[in-house]
Amino acid sequence: MEMVVVAPPAPGKLEDLKRRFFATPLQALLSLISLAIMVFLAWKLLNWAIFSAVFTASGGPEACEAAAGACWSVIAARWRIILFGLYPFEEQWRSALACVSVVVMTVLSCIPAFWTGRRIALVWGTGTALYYLLMKGGVLGLPYVGEEAWGGLALTLFIFVTTCLIGFPLAICLALMRRSELPWISRTTGIIIDGVRSLPLISILFTFAIVLPFALPQWLVGDKLYRVILGSALFFSAYQAEIVRGGMQGVSAGQEEAAMALGMSYWQRIGRILLPQAMRNALPATINQFVISFKETSLVVIVGFFEILASGNAAYGTGEWRFAYVEVYAFIAFIYFVFVFSLSRYGAFLERRMAVGER
Amino acid sequence: MTSTSSKPGGPAVHIENLDKYYGTFHALRKVSLSVERSERIVVCGPSGSGKSTMIRCINRLEQHNGGKITVLGTELNDDVANIDGIRREVGMVFQHFNLFPHMTVLENLTIAPVIVRKVARAEAEATARRYLEKVRIPEQAMKFPGQLSGGQQQRVAIARALCMQPQIMLFDEPTSALDPEMISEVLDVMVTLASEGMTMICVTHEMGFARRVADRVIFMDGGEIVEEAPPEEFFTASRNERTRQFLSQVLGH
Repeated sequence: MEMVVVAPPAPGKLEDLKRRFFATPLQALLSLISLAIMVFLAWKLLNWAIFSAVFTASGGPEACEAAAGACWSVIAARWRIILFGLYPFEEQWRSALACVSVVVMTVLSCIPAFWTGRRIALVWGTGTALYYLLMKGGVLGLPYVGEEAWGGLALTLFIFVTTCLIGFPLAICLALMRRSELPWISRTTGIIIDGVRSLPLISILFTFAIVLPFALPQWLVGDKLYRVILGSALFFSAYQAEIVRGGMQGVSAGQEEAAMALGMSYWQRIGRILLPQAMRNALPATINQFVISFKETSLVVIVGFFEILASGNAAYGTGEWRFAYVEVYAFIAFIYFVFVFSLSRYGAFLERRMAVGER
Repeated sequence: MTSTSSKPGGPAVHIENLDKYYGTFHALRKVSLSVERSERIVVCGPSGSGKSTMIRCINRLEQHNGGKITVLGTELNDDVANIDGIRREVGMVFQHFNLFPHMTVLENLTIAPVIVRKVARAEAEATARRYLEKVRIPEQAMKFPGQLSGGQQQRVAIARALCMQPQIMLFDEPTSALDPEMISEVLDVMVTLASEGMTMICVTHEMGFARRVADRVIFMDGGEIVEEAPPEEFFTASRNERTRQFLSQVLGH
């Protein structure tokens, strides 16, 4: 006898909605009230942001005061300050190109086809060199612009990217040293990692920006910007090292034994067997750390840099636009959102990609 | 570093008065064993008897604390070049397969020949496919280990070790983690290998396999080699009380 098993028909969309939100009269009432509140709020928001808003800068601040909605003209009038900070006005195209080069570099290094040592080094080398050349100038007929004048989105991106470029390899080194068989190496590394992690980022930035110049010989001091980047890279690497180490602990000891039994050297085992698997385990936490670091770049304000948030303050803080701070912050929030959201979407893509062969 | 290819006439593995401690636990007590080329040795004994520890000392996954191990004419000491040289010549198959899960079967088989032996990729792939044929899973080359059954994974692991063209193969309980219906497919591959003259040292409880292919069966207990005999003698005429007790437990049902 053959048995014919038929799955019950899947409920339609409408059926499902009814079951979830309108099962009892009370539930139906609550659903309707919530819906009304949501529609009301959405209407208010849209009305403020779009329907009653002023978009062009031509009318100046006065045009905004007459309108009931958002004053986007502040963005139209002041976007250059937000994106480029105090960078000289006529040279801001360089700052824009520098942003593009950093973004292109980041996007390229996210593409799996570029994940060979030579290609990634090429991408990063060209990207950072191009950024530096464009921003600093002094060659090829570009007027010189000192680091103290860099600002806005261009500075935020630069600090974030260099922090990761320095911090990530450092994190892997620290993680490997912490699992060293030599106790004096693993203990010292442990103390460094735990020490850095127990300090607030602000105090590290202060130390690198202001205290360090007194302790170092003159030729080693360098520009404040690079000291700050080093400080933030150190902070990043301390956290990331523990994430990588956690990923390594998820790789069974048998993996390294098998690699050893095949005659692989230490660096071959690390590079081909341990790290690829450890990074897969550590991926969600790593993306998290990147997102946190991106947002933490705003702390460099404290040591006198005009990254995007500080530039935003300057954009509305000049008297005539003083009332339009909500719009400026909304714009900056939107920029942060674009970057961070792309980052987490990319993380999700990587997880899907790496899930191949998991099971 | 071709020092391992010296002395073609000597024994494949020569172990003398081997001592191994884990902390204060004395895992191996003055173990001595000599294995000739093309000889097939089966090592058995109750768990904790030191049999795995002993074969893991042969390719230095464990460091011995006393005594002397000579593999293919090279003595194992702290010299890293010696260790790497020996590991290239000694293949190992593990209880839990230990395939690299982030690589396809083919990549698992080619990575060591390519990066350790510096074989050209195309040649390594040809060799890999030949060995996959030999372990009877040529169609799985592009799959990931996680997509295979336990028996298939263990056969891939054997092929992976063979791709390095080793002179000696170590098997550390290769069938203990397998479902019963998959044991014979792995043992069949090992029997074929034995018939081709591979030097093999197998830690296993598969007494049927021992009877069929072993030149000598070694029984270990408490970190010592208790008995060493050809299979017929070992299974039928053992004089040792501990051996007889162990055999009755393994065979007695």
